[in-house]
Amino acid sequence: MTAIDLSIRAAAAEIELIGVTKSYDAKNTIIPPIDVTLRPGEFTVVLGPSGCGKSTLLQMIAGLERVSGGRIVIGGREVQDLEPKHRGCAMVFQNYALYPHMTVAENMAYSLKVAGVSKAARAERVAKVAKMLGLADFLERKPSQLSGGQRQRVAIGRAIIREPGVLLFDEPLSNLDAQLRHDMRVELAELHRRIGATSIFVTHDQVEAMTLADRILILNKGRIEQFDTPKVIYHNPASVFVAKFIGSPPMNILDVTGDGSVLRLADGQVVASYAGKGNFQLGIRPEDIAVNDGGSIKTEIRYREDLGSHEILETKIADQNLRIAMPFGVEIDTGQALSLSFPQARLHLFERETGRAISGAFGDAKSQSAAAKEYQ
Amino acid sequence: MSSESSLFSHRWLPALLLAPLMLLIVLFFYVPVFQAFYWSFFLEQPFGGGSEFVGLQNFQRVLSDPEFWGATGRTVIFMLTASSLAVVVPLMLAVAADRKIGMSYPARNILVWPKGIAGASIGVVFAFIFNPFVGLMAPLNVLFPGLWNPGIDGTDAFVTLVAAHVWSGIPFNFVILLAGLRSIPPTMYQAAAMDGAGPWRRIFDVQLPLIMPQLFLTFVLEFTESITSVFALIDTITGGGPGGSTTLLVYKIYVDGFRGFDLSGASTQTAILMVFVLLLAACQFFFLGRRINYER
Repeated sequence: MTAIDLSIRAAAAEIELIGVTKSYDAKNTIIPPIDVTLRPGEFTVVLGPSGCGKSTLLQMIAGLERVSGGRIVIGGREVQDLEPKHRGCAMVFQNYALYPHMTVAENMAYSLKVAGVSKAARAERVAKVAKMLGLADFLERKPSQLSGGQRQRVAIGRAIIREPGVLLFDEPLSNLDAQLRHDMRVELAELHRRIGATSIFVTHDQVEAMTLADRILILNKGRIEQFDTPKVIYHNPASVFVAKFIGSPPMNILDVTGDGSVLRLADGQVVASYAGKGNFQLGIRPEDIAVNDGGSIKTEIRYREDLGSHEILETKIADQNLRIAMPFGVEIDTGQALSLSFPQARLHLFERETGRAISGAFGDAKSQSAAAKEYQ
Repeated sequence: MSSESSLFSHRWLPALLLAPLMLLIVLFFYVPVFQAFYWSFFLEQPFGGGSEFVGLQNFQRVLSDPEFWGATGRTVIFMLTASSLAVVVPLMLAVAADRKIGMSYPARNILVWPKGIAGASIGVVFAFIFNPFVGLMAPLNVLFPGLWNPGIDGTDAFVTLVAAHVWSGIPFNFVILLAGLRSIPPTMYQAAAMDGAGPWRRIFDVQLPLIMPQLFLTFVLEFTESITSVFALIDTITGGGPGGSTTLLVYKIYVDGFRGFDLSGASTQTAILMVFVLLLAACQFFFLGRRINYER
């Protein structure tokens, strides 16, 4: 790449949410008080299942939804009572929300027009953004004459043309097909590097979260389950919820009981040694399970899925589902007996009552703080 | 398409089902229209008994009559004021109703009921409402004697007519326009809000352009309706007076034809009015209709 055009560049703002909460009435609390700080220029992905409050959170930051309590500070200014236009945010919507009666150029320039920017200056900025997004040939078209990917670009262009300090994305890729989604992901990452605005990206797609985010904020019923780098979240999930949400196929979670020296499944098989007593949940990723490696855990294959690059074996131990990811080409048939072992260093232990992770349970080096340091 | 033809395997069955309606349309629309055009070229005896072909003499007579031009001018003024108001007032109501729509569903239902009231009934009601002695304006007349009297003042009578027409047009146009507004996705407003547009700006930049099809429909219907359906209002409220100040073309045709027994003159004016309405609708489609060229 030669001569990157840096003229569209935002003064990234820090975003602080202090006790921000949302409830529609006394009974229905969408978001209990949340405290979180997003660094200037950081790309944060808010990840969670539908109905977890992630879109509501975004709309409160944008000013499209009132907060029920707490403060939102953007770039050192308290904004929770300000109109959207005074917050310095721009937003890309899930269904693009382009104005159907305006051309691409008019769509992108609308915010400038409202702000009273002169016609010549508007045209100049539109040309610059259009070139950056590869839309230069489509400026006179109406949105209905564009493909999904092009519409998405127009929506992004409309958001970045004012060089906002904060860019908000509300599931912007969910209407695109798989190939286009991948391409747009790459483009978005590239764009973020060039523009540098503090970005919040809401999605339920863990792949988008893992690939785009500097840090992922995982929401469950409005509460923050974990807020950390993709690496830490993948390798050290803070809870069973996170462990099940990240990874494809997700982490296996098994109910185990500790007797003070080992962890046993319900049928008595020993799966790991651990000094604690009580009821736990043991997590292991499908790709971390060692098969036919002299392991002591016995099971048999119930179903196999060939995914080309690897295959997924479905098994059951102690009446609990267990998935194993295997490199392709391993000669195992359905119904065949397997012996498994769980490498101690790859295990995750959670309290069964709360679902919270017990960090350092297996005494290895990959503790939460160590992994977090990698990022900072 | 094959499924449709298999449903109606009898060729004459659709025709048979259509026949009663077609008969009505032909008997009560096309025959009178044809008759009016036909009579406009003949001198018709008022009590029957033969007619005489006179060519364009009827048109010459009508077009040189200052009363015809007076009525036409009043018709155009009425069309412009009454139909504009009959769209703009419901538009304002619809924009307001679209903001807070707690009861919008029953409200839409209730608001459309007045559509079912006959023009003559509306006329009688408005004649009372605007009566200078017992109506709404009566207290003002006590304070400023002679301020309001549609029985004497032509302008007052005209205003009464416009008010009655606008009132009768509100329900239908309100429902159409509100439906248009409701079909705009809420994210459109959110996007405009993010772009910095305030509520007023959003009305003019987003809402109105996006309900153009509905606005166009209501305007076309209103323009034609304001010319023809005003008859019942005039007949019940003003009777064309005072001094002919509310004699619009459609009322003049009735008076000429059925009071003055000038059947040929009335037919000629009817023909002219019909051509005018047709041209008007065609112009609207030509100049406005083609500008509504976007898809949601």
